[in-house]
Amino acid sequence: MLFVQVLQGVMEGIFLFLIASGLTLIFGVSRIVNFAHGSFYMVGAFLTYQIYPWIAEGTALGFFATIVICGLLVAALGLLFEIFLLRRVYHAEELMQLVLTLAAVLIIRDATKFIWGLDDVTVSLPDALAGAAVVGGTYLPTYQLVMVGVGVVVLAAVWGFLKFTHAGIILRAATDDRGMVALLGINQAHVFSSVFAIGCFLAGIAGGFAAAFESINYLLDTRVIVLAFIVVVIGGLGNLYGALYASLAVGILKALGLLFAPRLSMVIIFLLMAVVLLIRSLRRTTE
Amino acid sequence: MTPGDGTLRDSASAPKRGDTYSINWRLVLSVVVLQSILLVVSPPLVVFALIEVMIFALYASALNLLLSFSGMVSFGHAVYFGLGAYGLALSITHFDFPIALGIIAGPLVSAFFGLVYGILCVQLTAIYAAMLTLACAEVTFAVVFQWFDVTGGDSGISGHVPTMLGLEPYQFGLVVLCVVTVAILMLWRVVYSPLGLTIRAVGQNPARAAALGHGRKSVQLIAFVISAFFSGVAGTLFGIFHGNVFPDYVGILFTVDGLLMVVLGGLYSFGAGIYGAIVYKLLDNLAAHYFEYWQLVIGCIIVIVVLVSPSGIAGLVRRIVSRIGPRR
Repeated sequence: MLFVQVLQGVMEGIFLFLIASGLTLIFGVSRIVNFAHGSFYMVGAFLTYQIYPWIAEGTALGFFATIVICGLLVAALGLLFEIFLLRRVYHAEELMQLVLTLAAVLIIRDATKFIWGLDDVTVSLPDALAGAAVVGGTYLPTYQLVMVGVGVVVLAAVWGFLKFTHAGIILRAATDDRGMVALLGINQAHVFSSVFAIGCFLAGIAGGFAAAFESINYLLDTRVIVLAFIVVVIGGLGNLYGALYASLAVGILKALGLLFAPRLSMVIIFLLMAVVLLIRSLRRTTE
Repeated sequence: MTPGDGTLRDSASAPKRGDTYSINWRLVLSVVVLQSILLVVSPPLVVFALIEVMIFALYASALNLLLSFSGMVSFGHAVYFGLGAYGLALSITHFDFPIALGIIAGPLVSAFFGLVYGILCVQLTAIYAAMLTLACAEVTFAVVFQWFDVTGGDSGISGHVPTMLGLEPYQFGLVVLCVVTVAILMLWRVVYSPLGLTIRAVGQNPARAAALGHGRKSVQLIAFVISAFFSGVAGTLFGIFHGNVFPDYVGILFTVDGLLMVVLGGLYSFGAGIYGAIVYKLLDNLAAHYFEYWQLVIGCIIVIVVLVSPSGIAGLVRRIVSRIGPRR
């Protein structure tokens, strides 16, 4: 039982990482705390619900194609948001940036209500992914295992992109010192836009996958953004690998919390975040 | 953001020639008289809206003390608002306080939690501090929401105090008007006192303030507790107004309401909370009446404010007044 629960936690952690990685990449490069990230995730989920019936419903290939398409659509939406709104406040106060993304949350939520209504909707899984596998004497849904696989693939792709490609090197450099990157003659606006689009793409595919295992409604954004923020803060804002460890820790903690103290699982996670923040501040002052 | 680079910030808090920070009693008196007349002549429904505006004006003004002047961002200010209402309710239901004593207990409970959480939060700066205020708020919300035996959980507490103290709406409105006016004047005194100067100095440039002997942590903590106390006053009033209290009062939505009001009203000006509350609640009541998707409207308005006029409604008012007002 414990083993299965830990496995559940790992799965949830990998899934969380899909969302948190985008959030932390965006913060690392552009110093924007993007509250709207959960909203892009939600849009990804609803788009999957909308588009899947149009593209070979019921087949696994159609499902994955749908999710990639939705990821790209969400990336396009994010790009529009970045170019027309966010770009204008990069030099403004932090609070202004926060409030702008908060306004985007309100707008996207009401637009979602307007387009898709207030009721829960679900996406039915393709038959190939709907079964279950026996692990350690218990049944685990195939779909969750597939999601872990996808999570690992995405993780590897992001890591490879950052490590080996030219654009990845620029991104890492921009995270360290964006002023210096600009001095080297690299167009900062392009860097900011592309990292925002990449982050939104990740959020969009995460939303697409989420659509198939839980019912989705217009409240999905706040449900996920808070958890994603906790992960990003625990991992250290802008720190991709930190976000990975934190996602796994939060996922496992949440799963175990559900087993031992279901009413307190969120409290425990928030306490973990508070403790990590305070310890970090103590270390900083003693150095 | 390097400290002290905000032109907005500097223009709003630097003393302008001819300006005094003494209270403009003529303005205060005319607003109070006008509001009293409104309260007396309006039908009950309008009176309810007016009461809500006044309560939120105080709540947003208290939050504004942090946002505009002390250089802190609180993502969990509803906690201090809601705990005012819970302080009132719990002191009556669990400690058998008389109502009058409960009303005093409400803001004190808020101030106490402001002190405890504040001590933690001032250890950090910028976005990390904001995240810690959020963590404190979420933990508080979870406890309030789940500790069924004490707080009644989701169903809240009601019946501990007669709705509006059993007064007629307009009478209660006048009471709220008195309390809110006094509280906002006190906040004004705080901001424009030597203490307020210190708070603003720390908010603008912690390093220079430290060089003058004012440590960031202690000054911000004082601001935090004051802000929590006045939020608690607003929350207590809100609890009496509705005669009940729910976990929502502590929740993230009330926090976001406060933040949006302040930004709408215009950061770095004292009136931000007041203007913001009036416009926000007006939209809330009107737009929600005629248009189902009023958050879309408010979202668009916020975007416009942030992009076009970061000084918000307060900036607009300042510009109009300086255009039509007498030249100095």
